[in-house]
Amino acid sequence: MFRLNLKIALRNLWKNKVSSFINVIGLAIGLAACLLLLIYVVYEWNFDKQAKNAADVHIILTHVRDDSGKVLMTFDGSTTALAPLIKSEVPEIKSICRMNYGGINLIANKENSFKRNAKFAEPDILKMYDYQFIAGDVRTALQQPKSVILTESTANILFGSVEVLNKTVRYQDKFDLTVTGVVKDLPDNSSNKFDYLMPWSFYEMVDTDARNLNFNNFSYKTLVLLHPDANLAEVNKKIALLVKNKNANETHFLYPLTKMHLYGKFEEGKNVGGAIEQIWLFMGLAFGILLIACVNFMNMATAKSEKRSKEVGIKKTIGATRQSLIAQFLTESMVLTLVSVVIAIVLMEILLPTFNNLLNIQLTLTYFNVKYCAGIVVIVLMTGLIAGSYPAFYLSSFNPIQTLKRKIKGKGFSLSLRQVLIIGQFCFTIVLMISTLVIYKQIEYIKNKPIGADLNHLVQMPQDGALATKFDLFKAQLLSSGAVSGVFQSSTSLIHHDQNFSGLEWPGMLQRQNIILFNRVITTYDFIKTSGLKLLQGRDFSEKFASDSGAVLVSSSAVKTMGLKNPVGTILKRNGYHSTIIGVFEDYVWDSPYQGNNPMIVYFGKKETGVVTMRLNPQNSLHDNISKIENIAKELNPAYPAEIKFTNSAYADLFQKEQRMGILSNLFGGLAIFISCLGLFGLATYSAEQRTKEFGVRKVLGASVYSLMQLLSLSFIKMIVMAIFLAVPLAYYVMDVWLQQFEFRTGISWWIIVTAGAGTLAVAILTVSYQAYKTAVANPVDALKYE
Amino acid sequence: MIKLENIEKYYANKGLKSYILRHVSTTIQQGEFVSIMGPSGAGKSTLLNILGMLEEPTYGTYEFMGEDVTSLNERKRIELYRNHIGFVFQAYHLIDEMTVAENIEAPLLYKKIAAAERKSRVADMLDRFNIVGKKDLFPNQLSGGQQQLVGIARALAAQPSIILADEPTGNLQSAQALQIMELFKKLNEEEGITIIQVTHSEINAGYGSRILHLLDGVIKEDLQVAL
Repeated sequence: MFRLNLKIALRNLWKNKVSSFINVIGLAIGLAACLLLLIYVVYEWNFDKQAKNAADVHIILTHVRDDSGKVLMTFDGSTTALAPLIKSEVPEIKSICRMNYGGINLIANKENSFKRNAKFAEPDILKMYDYQFIAGDVRTALQQPKSVILTESTANILFGSVEVLNKTVRYQDKFDLTVTGVVKDLPDNSSNKFDYLMPWSFYEMVDTDARNLNFNNFSYKTLVLLHPDANLAEVNKKIALLVKNKNANETHFLYPLTKMHLYGKFEEGKNVGGAIEQIWLFMGLAFGILLIACVNFMNMATAKSEKRSKEVGIKKTIGATRQSLIAQFLTESMVLTLVSVVIAIVLMEILLPTFNNLLNIQLTLTYFNVKYCAGIVVIVLMTGLIAGSYPAFYLSSFNPIQTLKRKIKGKGFSLSLRQVLIIGQFCFTIVLMISTLVIYKQIEYIKNKPIGADLNHLVQMPQDGALATKFDLFKAQLLSSGAVSGVFQSSTSLIHHDQNFSGLEWPGMLQRQNIILFNRVITTYDFIKTSGLKLLQGRDFSEKFASDSGAVLVSSSAVKTMGLKNPVGTILKRNGYHSTIIGVFEDYVWDSPYQGNNPMIVYFGKKETGVVTMRLNPQNSLHDNISKIENIAKELNPAYPAEIKFTNSAYADLFQKEQRMGILSNLFGGLAIFISCLGLFGLATYSAEQRTKEFGVRKVLGASVYSLMQLLSLSFIKMIVMAIFLAVPLAYYVMDVWLQQFEFRTGISWWIIVTAGAGTLAVAILTVSYQAYKTAVANPVDALKYE
Repeated sequence: MIKLENIEKYYANKGLKSYILRHVSTTIQQGEFVSIMGPSGAGKSTLLNILGMLEEPTYGTYEFMGEDVTSLNERKRIELYRNHIGFVFQAYHLIDEMTVAENIEAPLLYKKIAAAERKSRVADMLDRFNIVGKKDLFPNQLSGGQQQLVGIARALAAQPSIILADEPTGNLQSAQALQIMELFKKLNEEEGITIIQVTHSEINAGYGSRILHLLDGVIKEDLQVAL
């Protein structure tokens, strides 16, 4: 029986090529989109969950409070003294591990040097993560200070092999370390990734802050492995008691590491989700697209009901039960879904690299993973069931005598449900289109907002090694080469996220204002000249004034925040240090372009090196300039690669998240409208087929082609219009909520709604009228001969 | 085998009852070959549908093989279709997606007959109706007469005790019609299968053993055909 059903299903597929094509292509695209997004969701979902002990690993988070006890901020930084204290006092703690945030540092095998992701951690990290050792011993790998664990790919790029145990690598061109282990590459979805791992004891040798046990430097992360039966609330209570008198305004608590990635956002001390919101969005998109494709299938199947009903009738009179008919129809939808999933997997293989590129991750399809395969099977079954069950129950319910008498008109409930489904489909599509347009408009709006600095011709590079110690020489050589017209060093890039501080005092300050956050950049000469900022008052730092070591430049918003009448000459105080304002520059966008940035104070300091920023000489070609800079840097600083980056692109990175969302909604909006129109096309074909005779009669009676087209198209157009009316308020609401998160935001203009509505309508009309025209111009004789 | 008692069928429309069948009572014995005749709209097909349990009478009782089947649930009805009743339609109603052999096999599948048995029965049918060469063709590749042969073969495959035929030759040319009628007669006489057919044709009716004349939903005449 099953075999016959299968055979008939395949024959049906083959016979009705148009509808099969529409169904298969629609479902394949839907499935491919859905599976792609789901792979991503799985990737995000499994963040930090790979290790066997993952469920018991916690990260120490810190609440920063104001004097009234209100939580101002929650972050994952903790102090060096905390770990030893709680380790000895809280028995539930099995092991504990301090680590740094990690950074891109130089590692070399003789001349073979690379900048890779470095991390320092205490040996207990090996108990929390199940690193797979290719070489070396887990128990001793981090015992000696001057040792290092490499990942497989790091070992390969340094030595071209993983047989590197006990070989020597050079760290930051200063320290020789012995390789004590090689581990398999870490998964991308881990929040503590590294390319090479060094022991904390070595960190204490290179970083004085790390050596110094204290309770006020929150520059480190601490992971805690609890006993499996430990009570988290109890542990947190104990920790709170222990640190009660150590910190002024900070409290610590343990938070499961597995939840950190998805639920890591805190507001006023309360968890408010995090990346999980994006996951929900993606899941919604994934199933929305799939559902749209399923709707196509349902609609096509019920539209064909007139044809199929005869078959149902006959089968019932020769002894088929309803169950056997349902089984048959479900077999058909399953076969169709199976064919689609094969195409979908091909599509996925083709699209995955692009998708990876878009989201900036490395996802792969693993066919031999049982979980993945099971997942695909479940999705296929679900799709087949959703797509097939309504037609199956609907069609199999036909009464044989009615169907054999051809009384089924496809009217009443079935049509109205079909209408509802089409309206739903197009609603989803239009919402996506409006979202796309709003997102793009917002991005354009922000892009067109003046930055306040001239980022064209600006390049920057990390100030590593000799570039820090011999900066003046480097600067002189650059200027004399003619490649650049200005150079400055600074503690951080012009575009940056961090370096905020509080506790600044100024004349006329109110008591509570010292908690206002300012942003700090530390630089030397030529800051204003090179960056192209607009100086409003005063002057740039200058070698002519020896007193400039105690001078600062401030942004105009800083002047406004402090309420200074005559800023130049005003003395600011912080931690007992005095500095005099010598100049005021206009605000520029140094952090998120979507909201006002903190007021900025630019200090003078030669020791705080970090980034060299250069303004290229526009007279020369870009290539010449860059290669000159590279040569000079290489010569002065041979140990380090010259990594020149355009400041423009650093600025563009700030748009990445929104741009990605724009592309995604564009992509899925496009897919949704394509699949929906495929369905519409199929329905129009059937509707035209059904009404061939009616059209023939009407034509013989003198109806014009136009009036016939109208007849066929109008019912479809009505549904689209209805969908527009439903979708617009929904989209408006959703996008309004989305825009609220930006301080600087555009509005939802009427033209966006008109464009989305008219666009959808136009595509739908085009789709339907092709069919309508074909039917309307057909020779009436052919139509009437039919039957 | 069949006992109809006071069968009525009407549609109520704005308080007016429009009768299709009135006071139809009759008995049909096993092995009879009955033709139902009458002008268009006399209620012939409705009567046949009621006999085939495709429609329910508004009033009256219907006994099939000693069992009251006036209003039967779908499951039991299908049980009867599987084991006792074979339908033959004017428009053949073969399943377009199935080949000739599969069409004939279909009722056996629903009856859950073992594969070997099915095979032999299908082969037997093909043989008997001289359509072995056409077993892998689809219905639309056959002439009307051939399609109807397949239709009858399908009805017979499940070895029913009664065949209900609604104008089985209505769409056929006269030569083919004759062939079908000869076949019915042979089935009736040699295998004792009860046959009830609706027909317009006096000639077709002549093949049967009994004629029910319907007029405006009432049995006007009940004739035994002289052999």
